[in-house]
Amino acid sequence: MQQRGLRRGLLSILGGLILWEVLTRLLLEDELLIPPPTSVARSLWKLSFAGELNRHLYATLFEFACGFSTACAVGIFLGYLMGRYRWFDELMDPWIATLYSIPVIAFVPLIIIWFGIGLFSKIVVVFKITAVAIMLNTAAGIKNIDPVWLELSRSMRLSPWETTAKIRLPAALPYIITGMRLGVGRALLGVIVAELMAANEGLGYLLREASETWDSPKLFVTVVLLAAMGMGSFGLIKKGEQRLAPWRESAEW
Amino acid sequence: MKGMLRLASIAGGLVLWHVLAVWVIDDSVLLVSPLVVVAKGYEMLFVTADLYPHLFASWWIFFYGMILAALVGIPVGFLMALSPLVRDYIAPWMTALYTTPRIAFAPVLLLWFGIDIGSKIAIVFLGCVFPILINSFYGMRVVSREFVEVGRSFRLSGGRLFLKILLPASVPFILAGLRLAVGRGLTGVAIAEWFGATEGLGYLIFFAGQTLNMPILFVGVAVFGVLGVLGFQFLQIIEDLATPWKKELEAK
Repeated sequence: MQQRGLRRGLLSILGGLILWEVLTRLLLEDELLIPPPTSVARSLWKLSFAGELNRHLYATLFEFACGFSTACAVGIFLGYLMGRYRWFDELMDPWIATLYSIPVIAFVPLIIIWFGIGLFSKIVVVFKITAVAIMLNTAAGIKNIDPVWLELSRSMRLSPWETTAKIRLPAALPYIITGMRLGVGRALLGVIVAELMAANEGLGYLLREASETWDSPKLFVTVVLLAAMGMGSFGLIKKGEQRLAPWRESAEW
Repeated sequence: MKGMLRLASIAGGLVLWHVLAVWVIDDSVLLVSPLVVVAKGYEMLFVTADLYPHLFASWWIFFYGMILAALVGIPVGFLMALSPLVRDYIAPWMTALYTTPRIAFAPVLLLWFGIDIGSKIAIVFLGCVFPILINSFYGMRVVSREFVEVGRSFRLSGGRLFLKILLPASVPFILAGLRLAVGRGLTGVAIAEWFGATEGLGYLIFFAGQTLNMPILFVGVAVFGVLGVLGFQFLQIIEDLATPWKKELEAK
């Protein structure tokens, strides 16, 4: 069953690529609208050989990693406080809810004005997006903890510190990782938008450069790389989710 | 008591914002007081009324993109749920399209559909279609597992089974997908209007950002927030109306 699905998936990708190649070669005279996969591959090879790609890829990954890790730390901490203390939850909630409901993109111009066009503004964009998602989910996880476990910790005479470290946080872990999964996609979008808007390196910058110079193969290379990044991060988190919360029916998407 | 702290938080935050803007930062390029933002919003809504063209431009892009996404997403989701063959062939492409940050497709779509409304609708469509599709897929899969037996025992034909049982039972899932799509659609609007637009809320924000016009920038961000909340609430109400049995279940 699983195997057959996998085989069909591979077949579908392979067939699609061949169809794409043949159709573009036959029907289109130049590569402006849709370059065939082989010229995309050639462009990818050329760009990575020149070392240009590494620089942009590294820049984006670095911004993403910095923003994401700080967001995890701050988001879990504040989310924990929101889950534990009602007054803190009520204090934060209106602002968090507002931040969460405004499209990510709308904030980007503001963040660039405040934090400049360099590395820092992109880290802030990633941080803002991810932290809010993790905070909300951590709070939900801490709130929804099974009271039986807390009673158990009391009967074991765990100190409050131990209760947090051994009971509350592990119990909230599946929620936290869901927050991360929700944050990852949006954060990747945010960092690319910020790079498109104002930057001198990164995949977003490459995207803009390629579209402004009408270099379609390069444009598609960037799209493919972004797709790989998206699928990679999503896959990693999904793996983590399956491992930490195996009882949940794992989402395919 | 419960509402009080919330109100206090909002009021306190706004006062803090005002104090920061007026006394600490004191630079209208970096931050303006909420009072200025409210005044600007009032002016754009009721005095000069220059918010409306932007609002309508964005609305139509959003509307068409969303409708198209529903028209494509729901049937494809159903097909994938009912036929493993279709699912297996579509799934890898969908995963690739869904997990790629949407902004990556914007220049490509611009190239294909031109800078007019076509490419903008396509960008919104791409954002909205997957939550709708995925929810329709899961809904139909859950429903078809649960209810097909019932239909069989009543000897319903395939078509009637679909119309009388599967379709109505998957409505809540579809509506939940639409609700998720609202937020992504608004983000899509903002992305779309940033590329070669001359009006619309997204254009307004980026233009204000580039000319360092803080009051307009904040008004634009606020309008996006309000629209997001309104759209979400609206669909929540429709969901409650369309699925009265859910309320009853919760009450029990």
